[in-house]
Amino acid sequence: MLRVQEVEKSYGDHQVLAGVSISVDRGEIVGLAGPNGAGKTTLLKCIVGVNRFDAGHVQVDDVDAMARSLAARRLIGYAPSETALYHRLRAEELLRFAIRYHPAADLQHGLRLLDELGVPRARRIGQLSHGMKRKVLLAQALASGAPLLMLDEPMEAFDPSARQAAIALLREAASNGRAVLCSSHDLDGIQRLCDRVVFLNTGRIIREGTTGEMLAEARRIAHIQLRTSVQKNDLPTHTGWIWKGEGRHWTLVYSDTAESIMTGLSQLPIASVRIGDATLDEVFASLYQAEPS
Amino acid sequence: MNLWKQYLRQTWWISLGYLVILEGALVAAILYWPRFRDNIPAIAKLVPFDAIQDLLGAMEHAGYWPYLAIQQWFKGCSLFGVGAIAFVASGIIAREADQRTAEFLFSRPISRRRVLIARHSMVCLLVLLPVVLSSISAIWLSHWIGEFVPWASILWSTTYMCIFLWCLICFTTLVSSIAQHQLTAGASVVGLALISFALYLVQGLDQLSLFKLIDIHTFMSIHDGDVPWVKGGAIAGAALLMLIAADQLLARRSF
Repeated sequence: MLRVQEVEKSYGDHQVLAGVSISVDRGEIVGLAGPNGAGKTTLLKCIVGVNRFDAGHVQVDDVDAMARSLAARRLIGYAPSETALYHRLRAEELLRFAIRYHPAADLQHGLRLLDELGVPRARRIGQLSHGMKRKVLLAQALASGAPLLMLDEPMEAFDPSARQAAIALLREAASNGRAVLCSSHDLDGIQRLCDRVVFLNTGRIIREGTTGEMLAEARRIAHIQLRTSVQKNDLPTHTGWIWKGEGRHWTLVYSDTAESIMTGLSQLPIASVRIGDATLDEVFASLYQAEPS
Repeated sequence: MNLWKQYLRQTWWISLGYLVILEGALVAAILYWPRFRDNIPAIAKLVPFDAIQDLLGAMEHAGYWPYLAIQQWFKGCSLFGVGAIAFVASGIIAREADQRTAEFLFSRPISRRRVLIARHSMVCLLVLLPVVLSSISAIWLSHWIGEFVPWASILWSTTYMCIFLWCLICFTTLVSSIAQHQLTAGASVVGLALISFALYLVQGLDQLSLFKLIDIHTFMSIHDGDVPWVKGGAIAGAALLMLIAADQLLARRSF
């Protein structure tokens, strides 16, 4: 449904995207994760045509998003991260305006979504809380009827029940054959929602895989605290071991069992060892610990 | 809720206020004419600027028409018109950038050209319709003081003034399509008007002023049946070029 190939974008001398390639198929939910400034929002803006990219290629269901931006946008239901909206409009009016130009929009579905998410339809946007505005943005993206949903921080400021409802709605959309790409800092939300995760840093993809693979990887991360500082060169090496950290605090990503690494670590002045939890937070921490951000 | 309606809801009250002010100023000016007419020679002696003395001279010799033209078009429409344009047209695109709604708007499946044209057309309607209504009302209002103004003179003068204001709208649209802040676009048209008026008051430099295009000589010639097609066409051409430039710059802009 979505094919992004080698997209590059710079603001002046500052390169924000350095050859990013991702794809999302119908029925798939892909999460885009990374620290602030990683390029997540810029990538989404480039795909949806709000920003012009400098190089690369974006295809939405065989439509070239650069050459036929309008046709591509008809296939995208987009919820921006920015919640500054037309504050004089009522929630229902904003929904009507947002989906008006989508060929497959379903207004009644959108109105039902507003009700389900607890958004007061008649209230002006300016009087809604941040979380409520996010719900309006989610509802309009879903009601657009577009086969590709692109959501920037879709569950930010949601309470637990709203998150649960949003996850259910997006899973339902994917099960109906829609492709979903969502960017988020909320790794717990991504873990619960997405089939696949792409980690970005400084405009580059540094890790990509299914959520299952990522979680399996998280179980193979050991957080090691030493009694004395050591240099990286002094650490034991082994096939499939990756060390990150410095001084007394190190993280070891390993490919074999937890028991097998203990033998290799016996020569170090170990104060404590903690094997990673099976969460994306763990993956995130190990990925970005040694990465410049 | 479409593009027109959405922008109209943000701006209609400015247009209504503009119409009320324009009409109020016209009524006051027309009712003041009999007293003003009797005092023109005395007033002319007090005015230090040659350009203004020219205007007074025209009124002294030709009577009511130059007075009406100055009050309604040279002063009223241009002064209040620039104000209305600064408020309404400056926001066409820059307001979206300023209020951070651009990402939402331009991610909809609407072309940027359509947004620009829809809003530009709405601004033209909001700014020019009060000019037309107010100018036509001068025909009936003039009867109160026993003066007569022909329909043709009013309609041609109004059309010419609308072309002039459209040019200012296009200039503001152009700045709005590249500006980060609405204030920048609004200030640019006000600044342009102020500089033009300052130039108009300086003998020798007055030819460089935009106000030279709408001064008394233009409206006198229209009244005499000589419609300034070339001047009007040139202004319209410049306006069109600025609109095309706005479209091209907006198409390349990232938000």
